Amino acid sequence: MQNLVTERRIVALLILALSAGLVVSTFGLQFAELGGAFSPMFFPRIILMILLALAALNMVIDMMTNVESKELRLAPTLLICAGFVGYVLLIMPLGYFISSVMLALLILITLGIRSPLVLLVLPIASAGSLVVLFNHILKMPLPNSPFFWWI
Amino acid sequence: MIEAIPQALSLIFTVEGMFVLTLGTMLGIVLGALPGIGSTVAVAMILPFTLTMTQAPAILLLLAIYAGSVYGGSISAILINTPGTPQSAATCLDGYPMAQRGEAGKALGWATIASVVGGLTSAVVLIFAAPQLAAFALNFGPIETFALILLGLTCIVSVSEGSMIKGLIAGFLGLFLSTVGGDPLTGEARFTFGNFQLIAGFNLLAVVIGVFALSEVLIRASAISDADNKLVKFSGIVLPKLSEWSGRVKGLIKSVLIGNVIGILPGTGAATAAFISYAEARRSAPTRDNFGKGEPDGLIASESANNAVTGGALVPTMALGIPGDAITAVMLATLTLHGVTPGVRLMSENPVLMAAIFSGFFIINLMLLPFGMIVSRLAAPILRIKEAYMLVMISLLCTVGVFFVRGNPFDLLVMALAGIFGFVLRRQGFPMAPLVIGMVLGPTLEISLRQGLIITDGSFAAFFTGHPIAAVLAVIALVMLTLPVIRFYRSKSAKA
Repeated sequence: MQNLVTERRIVALLILALSAGLVVSTFGLQFAELGGAFSPMFFPRIILMILLALAALNMVIDMMTNVESKELRLAPTLLICAGFVGYVLLIMPLGYFISSVMLALLILITLGIRSPLVLLVLPIASAGSLVVLFNHILKMPLPNSPFFWWI
Repeated sequence: MIEAIPQALSLIFTVEGMFVLTLGTMLGIVLGALPGIGSTVAVAMILPFTLTMTQAPAILLLLAIYAGSVYGGSISAILINTPGTPQSAATCLDGYPMAQRGEAGKALGWATIASVVGGLTSAVVLIFAAPQLAAFALNFGPIETFALILLGLTCIVSVSEGSMIKGLIAGFLGLFLSTVGGDPLTGEARFTFGNFQLIAGFNLLAVVIGVFALSEVLIRASAISDADNKLVKFSGIVLPKLSEWSGRVKGLIKSVLIGNVIGILPGTGAATAAFISYAEARRSAPTRDNFGKGEPDGLIASESANNAVTGGALVPTMALGIPGDAITAVMLATLTLHGVTPGVRLMSENPVLMAAIFSGFFIINLMLLPFGMIVSRLAAPILRIKEAYMLVMISLLCTVGVFFVRGNPFDLLVMALAGIFGFVLRRQGFPMAPLVIGMVLGPTLEISLRQGLIITDGSFAAFFTGHPIAAVLAVIALVMLTLPVIRFYRSKSAKA
């Protein structure tokens, strides 16, 4: 028996729901009473209506066809996704150097690199060289890191 | 424009000018050779380094990266059977079998000459076609501009490899993203949902880097292989002798012409040109039976066509401000960052800068020959680099690029979320180029549509009845939109 709930169908449903939600939101927003082409919602509403129709069509096609998505290594993917979000949130409080070393370490470990030398040298060298290049050679300072402000 | 060339050459033949051309071409070849980076990400990665430069050297550096990376893709296609850029996918078909036979140097020699010839002719096309197109478009009002953008958007259909519906969804998502922030006519905030950071809208470069570079990191991480790239024996490029060109020049000219024409058409891109040219060569070449087994004619067809696209693709980008594909969309964004607004007035307002860009592009393509020979030898060992190391460098460099554009940490968050969003969509077959094209063309489309409707008192029909150029452009757009549908149903009925 074919699996009804597939990754492709879930994504199609999410896009449909997102489009529908955005169309609905255009009617709830309050703007000055400007009609027709003067209205700020004139163009987005047209775009979102078409998007909704396309998303519905896509949903129908994905329900009718059974395309399996490529195999996914879930744990490393989720870890790196979380790592990206954490990295961009920490870049201002921790500075570019420390947060970049942490992200590089996370990517390397998640992707199976176990050599202690590589884990030590590569993150420090890659993040450090970029900090030196931008801060001192190109004179375009990256966010400073506590303890490493002197790099 | 032509009369500004001597002054433009004095801008190029400076220490700085020659340095950026040399560095950019060499770096472009290396970045293009590394699988997973591609021309779009290569240009985006180098962008922050140009922010401290003056206009001409900065733009020349980015152009050198663009042209160099398209050629560089052939190195990995031939040596490890993995195209460095999508444009070089057709090069694998005959390049790798040649390399397996122990003729890697020869294969790269054919690819280099074909790329140089393709690139040089595309530069000539750019020099002569862009000013003419811009001069023609100088009289366009909002209604003609709307029709022109509509035509540009039809390219979404042609770049939507796989599913047209998914391509259109990505394109309309891009158009929607372009509406987030202040309304261009009234200034009222739209879709900000209380977040004041969104009033300025989404940073295009943050979205581009997210959906192309970070999503690529996630795609590779989600299916990473521990196997190292198997590099064939290679000890340097061997250029083909003049006598070996006998019987192949006609094919080269044909492929170059295919690349030039396809380059100017919005949306088709270098990968399409390479495959169309390869298919045509396979159909018409006397050596057609050897195609796919290491036939130089196949290599010449794909490599000359993909490089012949580069200059042509810049014609609508420079002359009209309409990017044909993702890489020209990124080029457009980077030009704007450097204070150059591509469009109909660019040629008349900045003739010297434009002449410098066009002549520089010609010189870059000339440089591909010597630098291709040097860099390919140096780049070959880099192809053995572990994927994980490369993913680290892509992630760190992309962050720097996005941070320096506006210095706003919110853009970094947009980049990360765009990366995750792009990863989810790409896994399900949604192409990302239409999203970027939609985002780039969205603001002009909206303004021209609304201005046009105000001029015609709200009559959309008057757009086409009283404006013959707009009517013609709309008809071409309609044809371009319906052709793939007709082709799809024809091939379906032929199969049945």
